Amino acid sequence: MIKRNRPGPVAFKRSDVGKLISQCSESADFMSFKLDEDSPFYISYFQTLVDQNIVHQDVLSILKGSKFTSLEEIKDAVHVENIMLTTDVSSIQQRVMLGNILIYKQEAQPSCLLISASKMEKRQISIPETEYSVVGPKEAFVESLDTNINLIRKRIPIPDFQVKELTVGKLSKTRVAVAYIKGIADEENVNTVIQRINDINYDQLIDTSFISQMIADNGNSPFPQLVDTERPDRTASVLMEGKVAILVDGSPSALTGPTALVEFFSAYEDYLIVWSLGSVFRLIRLFAVTFSVLSTPLYVAILTYHYEVIPQDLLTALVSSRGGIPFPPILEAIVLELTIELLREAGARLPTKVGQTIGIVGGIVIGTAAVQAGLTSNVLLIVVALSALASFTTPVYQVSNAIRLIRFPFLLFAQLLGLLGVAVCSAMVLAHLFKLTSLGRPFLEPVYPLRLTDMKDALVRLPFNRQATRPLFMHPQNVLKLQQHSSQKDSKDIDE
Amino acid sequence: MLPLPSEDKKVSPYLAFYIVHSMQLGVVVFSFARTIVKEAGHDAWISVLIAGAAIHLILWMTYQIVIKGNNDITVIHRELFGKWLGGLLTLLLATYLMVIFVVIMRAYIEVIQVWMFPELQTWYMGILLSILVYLYVMGGFRVIVGLCLLSFFFTIPLLLSLLFPLANAQFSYLLPVMEHSTIEILEGTKQMAIIFSGFEVILFCYPFIKQGQRSHKWAQFGTAFTTFVYLAATMVPIVYFSEGQLEKTIWPTLTLWKIVDFPFLERFEYVGVSIWLFVMLPNLCLYLWAATRALKQLFSIQQRKMVMPLLFLTVFASTLIENGIQIRQFNTFVDWISFYIVFAYVPFVYLYQLISKKMRRSE
Repeated sequence: MIKRNRPGPVAFKRSDVGKLISQCSESADFMSFKLDEDSPFYISYFQTLVDQNIVHQDVLSILKGSKFTSLEEIKDAVHVENIMLTTDVSSIQQRVMLGNILIYKQEAQPSCLLISASKMEKRQISIPETEYSVVGPKEAFVESLDTNINLIRKRIPIPDFQVKELTVGKLSKTRVAVAYIKGIADEENVNTVIQRINDINYDQLIDTSFISQMIADNGNSPFPQLVDTERPDRTASVLMEGKVAILVDGSPSALTGPTALVEFFSAYEDYLIVWSLGSVFRLIRLFAVTFSVLSTPLYVAILTYHYEVIPQDLLTALVSSRGGIPFPPILEAIVLELTIELLREAGARLPTKVGQTIGIVGGIVIGTAAVQAGLTSNVLLIVVALSALASFTTPVYQVSNAIRLIRFPFLLFAQLLGLLGVAVCSAMVLAHLFKLTSLGRPFLEPVYPLRLTDMKDALVRLPFNRQATRPLFMHPQNVLKLQQHSSQKDSKDIDE
Repeated sequence: MLPLPSEDKKVSPYLAFYIVHSMQLGVVVFSFARTIVKEAGHDAWISVLIAGAAIHLILWMTYQIVIKGNNDITVIHRELFGKWLGGLLTLLLATYLMVIFVVIMRAYIEVIQVWMFPELQTWYMGILLSILVYLYVMGGFRVIVGLCLLSFFFTIPLLLSLLFPLANAQFSYLLPVMEHSTIEILEGTKQMAIIFSGFEVILFCYPFIKQGQRSHKWAQFGTAFTTFVYLAATMVPIVYFSEGQLEKTIWPTLTLWKIVDFPFLERFEYVGVSIWLFVMLPNLCLYLWAATRALKQLFSIQQRKMVMPLLFLTVFASTLIENGIQIRQFNTFVDWISFYIVFAYVPFVYLYQLISKKMRRSE
């Protein structure tokens, strides 16, 4: 009779919390002990997840001294920010796994007290590496979601800046934050992003690049459809334009969207220098990318089929450099392009210092030797090296990978049909780009659909006083950036 | 009858400019100067202007038809002529579009064969072009219109290349004005008007344009611009070649491109023919799109299922036309149909619609 009425240890163990604790106890870093010999309370936590200072100073020191009888009393006595009394097993499990201290009373109902004491290891904020700029802020995102949101929020100190948090990944339980400015960002974009993230059904989510691939409109496209940036200033800036940002705990970058192809050619530095310079640099980058994709295929096409298009003087130079080379242009080009790709891969996988050596060995030694051995023409070497250099000018790293890749089909078509082949391949790539969307918005905007108002910050960047409206293609709710008033400067005559 | 397309499938009204312009411009730019000069001699440019004016009028009629019907021509056919006769007319129109498709494809392949790759097999290039058309048509109307827009930007540098021959031009070749008789000039006008055809596609794609009525203005601008382009492409050969020489030159524009000379580039025709792919591709894509759309309206077959078979058919048909003589014979035949479609059929439908509306109202 008595035994049945008393919810003793046996009964408690059968409950879910008991199961959880016994499950966790199998790990070496899980601590579970009784507070005192005569105390009714048990304490459990993951030693590796909690901050020892909080455990000893704020929790154990208070509990040890006094005689509590209920969990509520403890709750009132402990002065820690985040304390919760709950019976819900799933939330208990979730919070214990995030570094909460679990206090429970063996005899009582399975209600438990959770005290937040988490300690998350993180790196210090450092300077951006892939998107370095000479002028302007030097902060970059780190692997902690809270720090990253802090970096953005301090740049947008308004309540309209909102963050929605989701948990994704069956095993990794990754925290994913969707940030946007209410009243500017289109609700439809926000909902699309949230819905697509919720639809992700995968066990792990390590980085933003996972999300970028999983929620892309076309997952097979080599072109990234969301901008991946490590700069909080850039993120804040595009948020204020009406975009949506996605941050992932454990990833030092933010995804922003919807985006258009031209955005991949805009460096944040364009906004930090005078608009005329910024525009010219942006145009140079666009030219560089076109050059990078087309130069080697054009070399192959012209030298294989249409040497007539080269004027005589230039042809002499080309012939003298190609004379005695045993390979057709296509083989020569593919081997050289692959060599450059090899160097790039080797350089990317090696530590910085060794990487530099590889660059010198590859670029100078192999290149010179190949030309001297008569295996390749030095004109092609120049072309290939220049196009490799040009492909590095893209400010967003992801798109330079796409440019690396699409060069090869162009080479193939140049070999098949010469200049016509290059045109056919361009038409194919363009067909793909025309179809591509980013969160449902056309990827080639403002070129197609042609929107002149969005052209002010696309191929060129006009001065800030001309940037009165936010980009229209993402349908911002609030279009006006600044109130325009007639400037006095223009109406003044000379010498007035 | 299909429901009208949803808003997100439609394009902005100003894009009618590019649709009409790119449809009127095609492979024929290379060769048309010879055909009209044969008729109207050095007064051919007057023919171009008259033809342009006539096309403005026909385009206006085209727009009146679709604005009144507020749908594409297949539905208007059914409303005006009943299910069977209307259906037959639609079928004939769709067949006409596919025949034009073959003509354009074959003509472009011929230019490639003559100017770039003499050994190139027709079927090989046909299949390559079909793949391109397939990619664009599967992307839908918006993607095709994007290509039209792009083709406009490709046309401009090619037109600028026509400035090079002007250095050696003999402007006195244009004189005396009106040396040829009115009949001769009108003969030239007839030839020229056929070259302007292609805008009939508006009959099919009108429901896909937002605020269709507003697009009328843009379509007229498009025709005006095409007239300008053709005028330039007629004037330059006339002042550069002597009349006898021009009559013997099949592709005057291409011959003119040979003169273009940059420090890094000569023999511009190789580049020009390649880039012209972007100018003729929208024609192919829109014709196929319109034909499949019409068949969808008639037989409710999915458009995507028809693209492949139709492309195979056209490639097969274009391989049947073997040499330049056959191409030109076939061309003349199709030109004859085009002429009657533009100048007889469109006004006929316009008047018939006008009268039947009046009759209905008086009843």
